[in-house]
Amino acid sequence: MAAKQTNPPRHSWWLLILLAFPLLGLLVIPPFALLARTSPSTLLRYLGTPAVVQAIALSLWTSAATLLIVVVFGTPLAYMLGRGAFVGKGILEALIDWPIVLPPAVAGIALLMTLGRRGLIGAWLAGAGVQIPFTPIAVIIAQTFVAAPYYVKAASVGFAAISRDVLDSAALDGASPLRRFRNVTLPLAFRSVMVGGALTWSRALGEFGATIIFAGNYPGRTQTMPLAVYIGFEIDMHQALTLAAILLIISFGLLIGIRAAYART
Amino acid sequence: MKWRAIFPIAVVLLISAGCGKEQPAAANAPAATVTVFAAASLTESFTQIGTRFEAENPGVKIEFNFAGSQALRAQLENGARADVFASANAKEMNAAWREFLVKPATIHDFARNRLVVIFPKDNPAKIATLNDLGRHGVKIDVADASVPAGDYTLQMLDRMSGDRAYGPEFKRDFLANVVSQEENVKSVVSKIRLGEADAGVVYATDVTADAAKDLQTLSVPDSVNPIASYPIAVVAKSPQAILAQKFEDFVLSGEGQEIISEFNFIPASPGLH
Repeated sequence: MAAKQTNPPRHSWWLLILLAFPLLGLLVIPPFALLARTSPSTLLRYLGTPAVVQAIALSLWTSAATLLIVVVFGTPLAYMLGRGAFVGKGILEALIDWPIVLPPAVAGIALLMTLGRRGLIGAWLAGAGVQIPFTPIAVIIAQTFVAAPYYVKAASVGFAAISRDVLDSAALDGASPLRRFRNVTLPLAFRSVMVGGALTWSRALGEFGATIIFAGNYPGRTQTMPLAVYIGFEIDMHQALTLAAILLIISFGLLIGIRAAYART
Repeated sequence: MKWRAIFPIAVVLLISAGCGKEQPAAANAPAATVTVFAAASLTESFTQIGTRFEAENPGVKIEFNFAGSQALRAQLENGARADVFASANAKEMNAAWREFLVKPATIHDFARNRLVVIFPKDNPAKIATLNDLGRHGVKIDVADASVPAGDYTLQMLDRMSGDRAYGPEFKRDFLANVVSQEENVKSVVSKIRLGEADAGVVYATDVTADAAKDLQTLSVPDSVNPIASYPIAVVAKSPQAILAQKFEDFVLSGEGQEIISEFNFIPASPGLH
């Protein structure tokens, strides 16, 4: 259970503020500076253009698919890591963290080497007539690769924090493993699961480097919002600013929405 | 969390921040650095020109920023510090000129480039002629229309569609085969080398000796090939204007032009300067 939060003594409080302020400024000011350069009317005008609509739609559905895949397959993995004790667990954890520290461009090249037409698995798939690069599937795979570790990490910490006694007593009461998971484990780890999900979704929504290398850039098929912003920056600064502002608003809306959903529970 | 534990760390941080003395500049630093913003397709040739220029001008260091021409122009617009701008098309140079970002008298074409079609050595789509690019199912990778190479590709398609050898449907059929529009022409080369797509349209200069190991090339006839001009200029706010001019002169000199042509560029027409 989370410890009760209280403010530290006054004399250390001002020092904390003093030290936290520069970083806080750096984190908060740039998004507002970007928003300040766009007007609501141009925003609405661009919001109606096909290129922008395509990019928003593609970004939303691919990142939602990523989240779904990560929750379905990541939850068992997180449970294994959080509650299990087995040989090589440390190594496994480090391997799962790997994509977090990889530069996105490296992730994109690694995915090409795996699922590209001549890749480790891709060559075999190509033989069966399946080609992944340049498709929305590739976008989802790129997002899943870079964003899944956040969910798995957060959720496994949540599962690990549940006390053994709670689970044991649920078992003594005769609850089946599935019921125990649904009614005891999951509610207790809910906070971590939600935080992990939010992190994964945000990371997937912002994915750029791995996507442009592995999935390519084609409007409506693989050009997600971050790609459209980058390409827009090269054509027309104004369009890029507008797209960037829309991306900011959508991602912030998502974060607020998740917090609101979390507060209700 | 024990707040008392943070105290000593915070105090040390504050003291070190307050007492830091400015480090003296390194004694062996070069006397001057010239920053050259150059189009991505100039990566190999300009790197060699830079090495040669540094050898002939001791104490001068050339620093390159290679990127799409429009990205470079956008960086200049936003106040990036640079001394020389070399663009892969006249459009971006003209835009820079209109915004007073470069010195107008220093704008000169220094090279020309042509488009070629490349495909993987094992030729998975069995491409034999340019007409094959309109065949259904061929996967084509091109540069995005926002970068010069992509813009030239569209011009090439327009000309081909007006040519009886390819037919009026050629542009539509070709574009229907496009699987990706790369933000950089070099990405097209990489993806074709990896065999991810069946064919791509790039500059002749992109087929370097190294790239040629994995690629086959199909030339595009002059009648439908938009020949790209590369202009160079000294940046208006260059902090090293004299050296910048010297670098530009070197690129335009016989020696510079020889290096340019070694990398498959067509040297700028003589008598222009």
